[in-house]
Amino acid sequence: MTPILTVEKITKRYGGVVALDAVSVHLNAGEVMGLLGANGSGKSTLSSIIAGDSRPDGGEIHLDGVELAGGSPSAARAAGVAIAHQHPGLAPDLPVWENVYLGAEICSAGRFLNRAAARKNAGVLLESLRPDWDLDATAGTLTAADQQLVEIAKALALKARVLILDEPTAALATAEVESLMRVIRALTAGGTSIVFISHRMAEIEALCDRVVVLCNGRLAGELAVNDRINEPQVLAWMGGAGGGAAAAHMHEARVAEESVKRLRVASNGEVRVALRARGLQAGARLRGVDLDVKRGEILGIAGLQGHGQEELLDTLAGYKKLDAGQVELCGDAITPRSPRQMIEAGVCLVPNDRHRQGLWLDQSVEFNLVQVGVNFEPSAWRLPRLSMKRFVDDVVARLRVKTSDVRQPVRALSGGNQQKVVIGRWLNERIKVNVLLLSDPTKGVDVIARKEIYEAVGTLADAGAAVIVYASDTDELLAVCDRLIVLYEGRVVAGLEGSDMNEAQVTSALFGRSAA
Amino acid sequence: MKIHLAEPMHRSQQRALRQRRARLPVGMTGASSALPAVVILLIVVILNAFLQPDFFSADSLSSNLQNAAPVILICMAQAVVVLVGELDLSVGAGISLVNCVLASAPALAGWGTSATCLAALVAALAAGVCNGLLVGYFKQSSLIATFATAAIWFGGALVLMPQPGGTVPEVLGEWFSMRVAGFPLAAVPVLAALALWAMLQRHRFGRRLIATGSSADAVFKSGVDTRLVKLLAYVLAWLFVFGAALCISAETASGDARLGLPYTLNSVAAVVIGGISLAGGRGSMLGAVCGALVLVLIGNVVYFAGIPSNYQEMFKGAVIVVALSFTFIGARRST
Repeated sequence: MTPILTVEKITKRYGGVVALDAVSVHLNAGEVMGLLGANGSGKSTLSSIIAGDSRPDGGEIHLDGVELAGGSPSAARAAGVAIAHQHPGLAPDLPVWENVYLGAEICSAGRFLNRAAARKNAGVLLESLRPDWDLDATAGTLTAADQQLVEIAKALALKARVLILDEPTAALATAEVESLMRVIRALTAGGTSIVFISHRMAEIEALCDRVVVLCNGRLAGELAVNDRINEPQVLAWMGGAGGGAAAAHMHEARVAEESVKRLRVASNGEVRVALRARGLQAGARLRGVDLDVKRGEILGIAGLQGHGQEELLDTLAGYKKLDAGQVELCGDAITPRSPRQMIEAGVCLVPNDRHRQGLWLDQSVEFNLVQVGVNFEPSAWRLPRLSMKRFVDDVVARLRVKTSDVRQPVRALSGGNQQKVVIGRWLNERIKVNVLLLSDPTKGVDVIARKEIYEAVGTLADAGAAVIVYASDTDELLAVCDRLIVLYEGRVVAGLEGSDMNEAQVTSALFGRSAA
Repeated sequence: MKIHLAEPMHRSQQRALRQRRARLPVGMTGASSALPAVVILLIVVILNAFLQPDFFSADSLSSNLQNAAPVILICMAQAVVVLVGELDLSVGAGISLVNCVLASAPALAGWGTSATCLAALVAALAAGVCNGLLVGYFKQSSLIATFATAAIWFGGALVLMPQPGGTVPEVLGEWFSMRVAGFPLAAVPVLAALALWAMLQRHRFGRRLIATGSSADAVFKSGVDTRLVKLLAYVLAWLFVFGAALCISAETASGDARLGLPYTLNSVAAVVIGGISLAGGRGSMLGAVCGALVLVLIGNVVYFAGIPSNYQEMFKGAVIVVALSFTFIGARRST
């Protein structure tokens, strides 16, 4: 096969940090190339350079032998390169169908929009990924998963020769991932070449012809995939030295063991219900949820995208208005009204969209970590700078936040490290965490950082906090949770425990069939 | 190369798509944000009709229209810039500049009516290009950049007309107050501007303008030169500024460098009353027009209500605050 795209010795620096160090890769016509690596290894940087979003500091990109001008998205698009970004780049106030053709509008004479054709084609593209779209909804009102699908449709609409999918599946549920795979296979059959970035090994195995592994901005290795992928080898490359990552992969089984043990310890002693909720209703998505979670317990919430999981956590955190239902916290009735009230009561949320709700992206790591503590500081005039500094250093060390300097803006951190900062600020001793709510905390986070995040969560649980986790990845919930509830259309359809807690039971409940 | 990505749509799905399309009037995306402004406008119109018995007479309507035309146009200009996610604090000074060109060119250079108007148009568009370059290409904060250029335009107007005076070509005034078959010609510039905007809503540029205001980063990554979009938005806005200045000059018939200055912040207020988000990308031109009409009619209401002249400004301000809180209540309900 002849390479359609060759990337030669691309180097990119951000300040003093080398994000990519003379990386060379090639892409053959009609192949799916998996691009793997831990968070911060340079995958997104590489793909954004190929797509023209950022300019490389050195190196060349050739498409069909023609050099591609760096730093110009329009040049890359004209040459036939399309990208679906990890974080959807949509115009939030425009309707879905216009977003699909943003920058590549279908026009008739005089560059007036051909609205009918654009709507129709956008509809067909989107329906190939998921049925039932409201094409006139503005993009800003969509869920994270739907925005991701629109971003993918937007890249598909360009009918590119090289299509880069940067973690397209991170926010998607199983059914949508399967449709996406069907679409990808149809595209490659037609000769399109695809760069596929994902943290989910099963997807890589099913889809890719070849994987390229990056580690700390360098090319770590390259491997053909025939039916099965040599997973230990890939993980060794991802982890650099080899030991760390492979160990991280082994960890999931270990976590499951640990949590079982912890539950046993708890049930020997006094088991106190930390949070009890009955008949919670909020908005259109949440239509009557009952749940109990004990101290020191990790409760998982499973369900397909958009069946009320996010809304449940937002409501408990006082962020979304509760329409009906009772909440009891450690035996006392409480009505969630505002985030401040709930934080004071010890109910803390790690929000779903860490960029919009969880972080001040342009502020420093330090600022982000202490901000919650500062808000609850009794004396607003004399902030205890020394203890704050100690707290920041402590959190950065405990959660292994990879940052060169705590004064670095959070934006410069990789996704996994950003999430650690969001979780880290609840470790402040001024806040007594009774119930920790995590809304898809490992979205777009690599296996190693995932492990570290759940270790931090486990520590909080061991200290007596109740934890409620919603994750889009069911395997992950099975590995880390003591108990699972499954939501379907805003109601609990199954509560799974012990030996019932397995993939088959969860899957049947996901589609609305009660486990009983 | 043709790839079938999916099975052909089921007929019921096709029907659903068509029905959804039918639900949305052409070019009206975002129009719902104008609803509070429409309500406020209705209230103000009712008040006005109540206080001024001959409000709906042809004479009164056409004189109100003559007052309103420049305000509507300047608010439309501001709305264009706000929709692209920026601000223009120099539109008022721009009115002064164009007005002074119109009033001084015949005497200074001995130009005829059309040459004078052309010179004024060139001055307005040049100012728009200048603002657009500063904001779009040199990435200056629009708040500061246009605050600075406002001083330059005002200074230019002062150089042209140190004292109020001069004469604007008389033809303009005659046309402006004329009625053809009962239809006031003062409405023509406003209708032309609205027609242009409605057309642009179906044009690639118009949609990119809104998209850039909504998320400039997303649009840039979609391969669009957002610098050019911003530049063109400013040029379009200043075409409207030219129209506004033409109307005012026709009305006053003379030049005054201070004439336009109060219009700047009025235009920002009208845009906000009209439900257009100052963050850009959200809102409709209909809202801006309603906002402008509200401002004009509030002046009327205060006058006809017999409020002592020293209290009029205060009262006007209070009414605007009430109008704004209406807008925010509406905004909260829709999210």
